Amino acid sequence: MSAVPGLKEDCEELLGAFQQADTVRFESFAELWRERRFHTVFYGRMRALERNKLTKKTLDLAQQYFLPPYSFQIRVGALYLLYGLYNAQLCQPKQKIRIALKDWPEIQKFQQDLLDSQHYDAAYIFRRLRLARAFHFTAMPKLLTYRTKKKIEENYFKEEFKDPSNRVNSLITNDVLEELMNIHDHYQKMKCIISADKSQPDKALSLIKDDFVVNLKDITLEHQEWQQNRMKLFRNAKETDETENKKKEGTSLESEGSERANALARIKYRSYSAVVEASKSRRHRQVQLESSESGSSCGKSPSGSKKTRRRPQPARRRGEMQVAKETVTRHIGMPIITEED
Amino acid sequence: SIDMLMSSEKEEDPDVIPEDSSLLTLRIRKKALERREETIIVDRACRQETLTYEMESHATGKRPDNPTDLIEEGELLLTLNVFYPVIFQKHKDHKPYQTVLVLGSQKLTELRDSISCVSDLQIGGEFSSQPDQAPEHISKDLYKSAFFYFEGIFYNDKRYPECRDLSRTIIEWSESHDRGYENLQSVKMEDYVFNDLSLKIGFPYLYCHQGNCEHIIIITDIRLIHHDDCLDRNLYPLLIKKHWLCTRKCFVCKMYTARWVTNRDSLAPEDPCFFCDVCFRMLHYDAEGNKLGEFLAYPYVDPGIFN
Repeated sequence: MSAVPGLKEDCEELLGAFQQADTVRFESFAELWRERRFHTVFYGRMRALERNKLTKKTLDLAQQYFLPPYSFQIRVGALYLLYGLYNAQLCQPKQKIRIALKDWPEIQKFQQDLLDSQHYDAAYIFRRLRLARAFHFTAMPKLLTYRTKKKIEENYFKEEFKDPSNRVNSLITNDVLEELMNIHDHYQKMKCIISADKSQPDKALSLIKDDFVVNLKDITLEHQEWQQNRMKLFRNAKETDETENKKKEGTSLESEGSERANALARIKYRSYSAVVEASKSRRHRQVQLESSESGSSCGKSPSGSKKTRRRPQPARRRGEMQVAKETVTRHIGMPIITEED
Repeated sequence: SIDMLMSSEKEEDPDVIPEDSSLLTLRIRKKALERREETIIVDRACRQETLTYEMESHATGKRPDNPTDLIEEGELLLTLNVFYPVIFQKHKDHKPYQTVLVLGSQKLTELRDSISCVSDLQIGGEFSSQPDQAPEHISKDLYKSAFFYFEGIFYNDKRYPECRDLSRTIIEWSESHDRGYENLQSVKMEDYVFNDLSLKIGFPYLYCHQGNCEHIIIITDIRLIHHDDCLDRNLYPLLIKKHWLCTRKCFVCKMYTARWVTNRDSLAPEDPCFFCDVCFRMLHYDAEGNKLGEFLAYPYVDPGIFN
C-alpha cells in the first residue's frame, strides 16, 4: 500500500516530542496532541471511500509503533496515539486497528507491565480501546494488496542503514586491532622468554612479519578512505551531517566511529532511549545501565515533571564515544612507535 | 473526560484544512487538493467509485431476521481474492479480481457456488439456422465438475453424478514420473469446511471448472468476526469487490450489450462482429425468419455481464 505522504514524519515528530517530555502520563501526551491539533490529520475534503482507505493506513502506521522492539515510552506513546486516532477518525463505522495473533501475547505482557508499574492511565486507555471494540484480531499484521508497485518503497531503510558496505571495517574494528596487537605483544614476549637472550627473540623464531598489525591497519585505512571518497561523491547532492563530520575529523577511523554515532543518534527510538526508559519504568528492577543515571526515581513522581538532566545526555554519550574513539586511535597509533623490527 | 482532551474546542468543518497547520500531512494534502481543484472541473464520485464503496460497505452491520442465522463470536472470516481468467492486454499489470468474504464454518461448495464466471454461461454450438433455439443449455448445467486445489489436496465437487474427477489427470501425470510433487490427494469438496483447511496467506491456489477454466485464488486475510461486520449467515460468501469490465456493445445500435457474434458474415463489416439480439435478427433474417446471406452465428456472453 502506498504510504500517506507526510504522516510518518508527523507521527515520529509527535512520538519524539513525547519521548523528550520524558513521561508516560496521558496528560502530557494530550497536551502535545492538542498543541499540534493532531485530530485534524483526517481533515481535507475527501469522499467516503478514500477516507476509509486513508484511515486504515493511518491506523496501520501508528500500530507499528505499538509493538516491540520500540522502547517502553514509545510504545505507551503509540498506545495514546492509537487511542487518539481511533477516536478522531471521521469514518462511520469506525475503521479498526489490526493486531496480529503473534503480537497479542506481547501486548498482554505490555499491559501487565503497565499495571505492575502502576501506570494506570495507560492501562485505562487500553481498556477503553478494548471495550470500544477497536481491534481486529487478524492472522497476519498487514492486509495484502495486489497491485504491482511502480516504484518500490525503500525510503524507510535508507536513513537507518546508511553504511551497508563497511564490512571490512566491521571485521577489522578497533577492538580487533587492539587484540591483535596484544596478542602480538604477548607472542613477542614469549619468544623472548624462551630464547637465550632475554631481551630479544631468537632469529630462528622469527616466523612472522613483525609489523603485520601495522600493515593490516594501513590497508584498512586505505580501504576506508577509498570508500569514503566514493561515498562523498555519492552524497555530494545531499548535505548531511556525516559528510561535514567526515571533513572535520581527520583520521578515518575516527570518522567511521562518528558516522556510527550519528546513525545511532538518529535511531533514537531504538538505541539509547531503550536504555534510558528502562531505568524509569523498571526502577524496582536492577538494570545495569552504563550511560544513563542510576537511581533516578521517576515512577511515582507527579506527572509533568520534566527531567532536564536527561537532555544533555545524548551529547554526553556522544562525547563519551568520541573520547573512547580518541583513546583507541591513540592506542592504535602506538604500534608505529613501539613495534620491534 | 478523556475524550474531551481529544476533540476540538470550537466547531470545525472537517472538509476544510486549517491554514496554519503544523502537520506535514495536512500541508501536503492541501497542496494536492488545490491542484485537484484547478484541474478537475466536476469533482463528484464517478459510478465506479460509488460501486466500489457500496460493495464494500453495503453489508456492514447487518443483522439477520432469523436469530438462528446469527454468526457466533469465535467465527473466522476469510478474505479471498478470486482472479478472473480473462486475459486482456490491458490487464497485464493489474489482473482483475473479485474479493469474497467467507466464514470459516462454510463449506467449500458454498464458495464454489458463489463464484460467478462468464464461462459458466457459455452456450456451445452454431445457431445461425435456428436462432430461436439458442439458449438451451448453458455450460454451467452441462459441465458441473470443478475442483479447488489447496496445499496439495484437490477438493472435487462430487455432488452430482455428472461430476467427474478433473484432478485425476493431474494426479496421474504427477505420479507417472518423479516430478517432485509429493502426495497429491483427491477428496470430496462437500465434506470440508474452511476451518478444516490449513492455508497460507498470500499463496496462490487454484479453482478449476468447466474442465479448463482456471481461477487463481489468493487468501489475503483471516480474522475473527467483529461486532460491526455483517452477522447474517445467509449473506455469506459475501462479494465485496468486483472488477468492472466494459461490455462490448452491439455494432449497430451501440447501445445494448452484444448477445451474438458472427464469423464470416457477408452482411457484417468486420469479422468477428457483435450484435444485440434485436439488431441481429433484423439484419440477418427476413420477416418469415429465413436466413439471409452466409454466416456463422454463436451466442455470446460478455465478460462484463456481471456488472
